[in-house]
Amino acid sequence: MKHYIGIAGTNRQGSTNRRLLQFIKEHFADEAEIELMDIGGLPVFYKTPDRSVPERVTEMAKKIDASDGVIISTPEYDHGVPAVLMNALEWLSYGIHPFADKPVMITGASYGMLGTSRAQLMLRQMLDSPELSARIMPSSEYMVGHSLQAFDEEGHLKEDALIARLDGLFEDFATFVDVNKNLVYDREHVMQDIRNSDLKNDL
Amino acid sequence: MKLVGIVGSIAEDSYNRKLMTFIANRFNNLADIEVVSIKDVPMFSEDNDQTNGMAVQYLKHRIENADGVIMATPEHNHTTTAALKSTIEWLSYKIHPLEDKPVLIVGASYFTQGSSRAQLDLREILEAPGVNALVMPGNEFLLGNVRDAFDEDGNLKDGGTVNRLANLLEKFSKWVNVLKALKGPEPADAYKNEDLTASGKTDTTIEGVKPGDPDWVEKAAKITNAASGKDYVKLDAGVLTVDQINWFLKSIPAELTYVDDNNQFLYYNHKAPASKMFASRTPQQPGSPMSVVHPDVRNVHDHVKQVVHTLRTGKTDLFQLAEPVDKKNVKWVVNNYQAIHDDENVYRGINEIVFDFWPVVKKYLEMTGQKLVDDPNSKVDANANASAKEETSTKPVAEPVAADTEASASSTEEETSTTPAPVSQAPATQAPAMDASASASEDAPEEPEVDTDASASK
Repeated sequence: MKHYIGIAGTNRQGSTNRRLLQFIKEHFADEAEIELMDIGGLPVFYKTPDRSVPERVTEMAKKIDASDGVIISTPEYDHGVPAVLMNALEWLSYGIHPFADKPVMITGASYGMLGTSRAQLMLRQMLDSPELSARIMPSSEYMVGHSLQAFDEEGHLKEDALIARLDGLFEDFATFVDVNKNLVYDREHVMQDIRNSDLKNDL
Repeated sequence: MKLVGIVGSIAEDSYNRKLMTFIANRFNNLADIEVVSIKDVPMFSEDNDQTNGMAVQYLKHRIENADGVIMATPEHNHTTTAALKSTIEWLSYKIHPLEDKPVLIVGASYFTQGSSRAQLDLREILEAPGVNALVMPGNEFLLGNVRDAFDEDGNLKDGGTVNRLANLLEKFSKWVNVLKALKGPEPADAYKNEDLTASGKTDTTIEGVKPGDPDWVEKAAKITNAASGKDYVKLDAGVLTVDQINWFLKSIPAELTYVDDNNQFLYYNHKAPASKMFASRTPQQPGSPMSVVHPDVRNVHDHVKQVVHTLRTGKTDLFQLAEPVDKKNVKWVVNNYQAIHDDENVYRGINEIVFDFWPVVKKYLEMTGQKLVDDPNSKVDANANASAKEETSTKPVAEPVAADTEASASSTEEETSTTPAPVSQAPATQAPAMDASASASEDAPEEPEVDTDASASK
């Protein structure tokens, strides 16, 4: 069984992105083990002179490293990824690189109609940076709009079409994770990029 | 022109800070650029709203008081920093100081292509509906290879780069002015947004005691663990005990009242019972919102709002109005509303100084051997217009006109009209007619009991 890490890009308890990941975790309980990881409460990222990271970040990195893939569900604030998620990704790419070559699937839930399209684009761009070098599943946008009305009392997605699409994408993600293991050619190149970007991180 | 420079990095040693500092120093002929830090801004969190915290309020004040903002962003993970994004989230959640504010984006980075993606993202973020900043189009400024860019004194080495920056800054300052012109003058009723009920908060607001509580002073002192009595207080040019500060303030021959930038009445120098004061106050009043101190009769609140707005927005730093001249050449009480600013020139409230000028005038005449005579050219009818302001009663001019003193006294008067008035106009002949209404409105709030004359004169 595959083991994934689920990250809601928020520090809000009542977040519908948290609810969406919770639903994914339960809905696919027979196919994958999904551990939800909280990113709130980390200090605002700054370049520590000795390049150390908070202990919690080290723990998070270990878990991500050991997983088969990561599912990130992001809200959208001010046309972008919430600062709290940017912050976690900054820590998780400062001298450590748990996302390197890690398969990532992106989802997003929002109160309005547009459903985090801009935030998802920005998140893709971030995950594609040398410091993170994640392997983002292509052509797989998944958005839940009007998210306050999208779940029933048990926290299940109400709309069948949304669930069907999620089923398809989740199955694809498992395939993507397997395929990704065969993509070994780029490895050294990526690591070199990462070492260069560590320099950049001195800025 | 006043600009705020925000550095998107909170690292101790940041090239973007270096760049911003260079811009501020080098182009101080174009603009007064204050470089601010976002180091103390907490991570944005809806569950733990810190909009009213020091760090966010500090930025809010500075941005609101500036004509424009310059942001310098590093690039982390192909985008701008979480620290800067978090700051913008605070500034677009409950408050919106960046709305319609001109913003210039610059960035420095180690490599050649630099912060281009970060700048693009930042642009999109700043244009989001909750932020609504006006980012200057085009004119991208990327400083690559920063390790070699500065000399030991923090100056950019390359002359071409400095020239490009100079052009950019000049364009930006023009752009700020164009936007100002587009916006047009402030609407005539902008003053109505003044919140006399003090329902908001400023970074000095004492929480946990209700404004208007008759025991406010005692309760607020307890909450803040305030110094008192023989406790020493370090001031910027001295050390005194609280007792000494009290004695000192009471010895000043004027009634002083402190109202903060949230329109909350905080203090007066309690030297006499209310009945013996020019503008009566009681020890139960401190802590009250201005709306409670001034009962809303005869448009008083509207008039108070106008004065506060005039001072807050810097149209003038001193607004004066005279009490009705009931006994000519015996008493001349003037209410002086002096804007209070902090060291960064941010509005912090009002010092109301109520003061009888007559003894000063009398002494001056005695010591210089002069007397007062009526000015036949004056258009002011001092007797009819009982509530007119300073010029009215100065009308009997000391014969050899002491040009300097008069000019400075009345130049502040000029500025009380809502349109920005030239400071250099001749004082004594100026504008008593148009001032009359202003002073009438001013008179009302402080001394409602003598207000009948004031409204009559309107």
